[in-house]
Amino acid sequence: MKQVIKLFAKQYRVFRNDKVAVLLTFIVPLILMSIFGSIFGGSSSSVQGIPLAFLNESSSPVALRIEQTLDTMKAFALIKTYKNDRGELVKFDTVKIKEYVHSGRAEAALVLPVDMYSDTSLGLKVKYYYDPKDEIQNQITQGLIQQLIFRQLPEIFTDAGQRAAERSLGEAKGKEFYKKLASLTHTYFHLDTNVILHPNLNALFQKDSSSAGDSSRASKFFERIVRIEKEQLVGKELENPGATRSVGGWAMTFLLFTLTAAASSLFDEKKNGVMLRYLTSPLTRVHILWSKYLFNMSLGIIQLLFLFVAGWILFHIDIFSNFFNLLLIIIAASMACTAFGMLLAAFSATRQQAQGWGTLLILMMSSLGGAWFPTSFMPPFFQTVSKLTVVYWSMNGFLEVLWRGSGITAIIPHIAILLGISAVINFISVVQFKKGNVF
Amino acid sequence: MIQIQNIKKSFPSTVALAGISLEIRKQEFFGLLGPNGAGKTTFMHLLVGYLNPDSGKIIIDGDVVTQSNLAIRRKIGFVPQSLALYDELSAQENLEIFGGLFDTPKAVLKTRIREQLEAVGLDERRKDKVNTFSGGMKRRLNLIASLLHDPIVLLCDEPTVGVDPQSRNAIFEYLIRLNQEGKTIIYTTHYMEEAERLCSRIGIIDQGKIIANGSLDELFELFPYEELILITKNPSTTKCRTFFEKFGTCVEVDDHFELKPSKGFILSHFFAHVEEQGISYRWIELHKPTLEELFLTLTGRSLRD
Repeated sequence: MKQVIKLFAKQYRVFRNDKVAVLLTFIVPLILMSIFGSIFGGSSSSVQGIPLAFLNESSSPVALRIEQTLDTMKAFALIKTYKNDRGELVKFDTVKIKEYVHSGRAEAALVLPVDMYSDTSLGLKVKYYYDPKDEIQNQITQGLIQQLIFRQLPEIFTDAGQRAAERSLGEAKGKEFYKKLASLTHTYFHLDTNVILHPNLNALFQKDSSSAGDSSRASKFFERIVRIEKEQLVGKELENPGATRSVGGWAMTFLLFTLTAAASSLFDEKKNGVMLRYLTSPLTRVHILWSKYLFNMSLGIIQLLFLFVAGWILFHIDIFSNFFNLLLIIIAASMACTAFGMLLAAFSATRQQAQGWGTLLILMMSSLGGAWFPTSFMPPFFQTVSKLTVVYWSMNGFLEVLWRGSGITAIIPHIAILLGISAVINFISVVQFKKGNVF
Repeated sequence: MIQIQNIKKSFPSTVALAGISLEIRKQEFFGLLGPNGAGKTTFMHLLVGYLNPDSGKIIIDGDVVTQSNLAIRRKIGFVPQSLALYDELSAQENLEIFGGLFDTPKAVLKTRIREQLEAVGLDERRKDKVNTFSGGMKRRLNLIASLLHDPIVLLCDEPTVGVDPQSRNAIFEYLIRLNQEGKTIIYTTHYMEEAERLCSRIGIIDQGKIIANGSLDELFELFPYEELILITKNPSTTKCRTFFEKFGTCVEVDDHFELKPSKGFILSHFFAHVEEQGISYRWIELHKPTLEELFLTLTGRSLRD
């Protein structure tokens, strides 16, 4: 037993002195837990700042109330205007608001049309245009909008029901009928009562006679009371939208791991003396760094191409209809990730250290950059930080190309930012390599 | 051929070389002998231009060696102390990579690779991965990887560390052959046997300074005596200790006395007096001094300290 205890204690002594093991065991999970906690700590009500294009064409008080509520909701960053060609802020119209979503500046638009709530309406009619490039965000947006509209329902339902009853039965009888109906509806909400008492509603339910139970019929009922006309503007034609959406994020995570490991091979070459052999032949440190950079970059390009081709074969992701632009983003992303790997190697003392820090930073960048969940789930501070990550710009570049089928002009900003990040990181790396541990 | 003019090199925590001047002639086999940490590797790194000296100058074949002078490296072959090889690649692939760094024409390189592999007995294993090689085989490969550009100067930084006697001999024989064929060789070691066997001239380095330099004979002349006299300790020799001390310094070491003869000592006179004392010759043994003892004499420390 003594021996077991001695060996047990020894393990802790070794572990304590292995800084990378400690980092990966405690610090990495702690930091990631903090990030995830701050993102998912609340409910969906903690979602903030989802860009939502908005147009209110209706003059009804209900529409105004919905607009006012949307204005105060933290979940949405309501966009009511766009910049025209002359740089002026102009209110949306029905055409421009769709273009706005189509171009990717917002992932959803809500239009309250002129006939949203007319005198003869049974309920509300709204239009919802969306780009489900991020399915989770899209679901949440739809859910929140439905919740908001349904909150208006008791009043609308009362009002619409009363007007419908008056139209059918005459004012006096209609009012009498409505009183009973309202009383019953509010008390029990049993829809069978309406089937008997209300001719128009009866017509609604007759269509649902094949439905399974009361709850299903109720659901159909509400769908007719509140009609949300949804139109998907982007990605309709894609064979596998789910895979197309997620391939970029996962590809970036693996690319970062690969390139960090590749850059860390500098430490192996130093340790086994190969670096010394190189530096005693007609080579300079610059030659070595360039060769390493070019190798890693090309490896990154090959890896990304491999993953996208695999996505094409396995999940029918269409990579060929916009292949040239995809290739441009792949090159830019590989350059930026290579620079990141070189930066880690420049600032680390050993391979283990580089990989420890690499794991932490890659997981952080992937989560913050939106590879695993939408950035709009994050608090505003993290949303700002996410824009500093290579993952964010690469992923959005891939989505532009694969999801939206954008041309070169749309991806130039992404490429420029990735190359900019790459240039800055490379400069820092070279400076650090001069005084670092590798050479 | 090689002029080293008062080179100094310091690192943040230590002075590695404290002013070394040497001249090494063409086709000389020069050994640099010193304990670990004496400055041998730093000296080699300066010679090959991996490091720049803080002051002083190194000239090889008329060219000043600096970090930025890449051309001079074509004249130098450097055998690092570590096994600077890619374990996952074959011997042939390793040689192609390292030989290719010197812009040697492909056909010439191919021929040289074959010749070198044959010379060190690795030809049959040329396609095997290095991680299947024994330590000695790796050492031989490590050596020839530095020779593919046909340098005029070969710098060997302790190239036999951890090698079995058979491989060590093979390496020694090959180095001697290279030297005979015209290469100037500088060889660092902390094994005096290696220096004695290989080198026509030896520099002894300690704490960043050359404390002795010359051929073996010249170095042994630094001893105040030619031979050390070892006397087995027993009752008859112990009672004669005062007698022994008349001939030099006599110290007791383990099971014997060690007599370091003083100046003017004549061996025949000593034996005559021993006979007079009635001490049997069988208790007396003559011992030629070694470089190890020279180092001990010069520094007060052992080479392996």
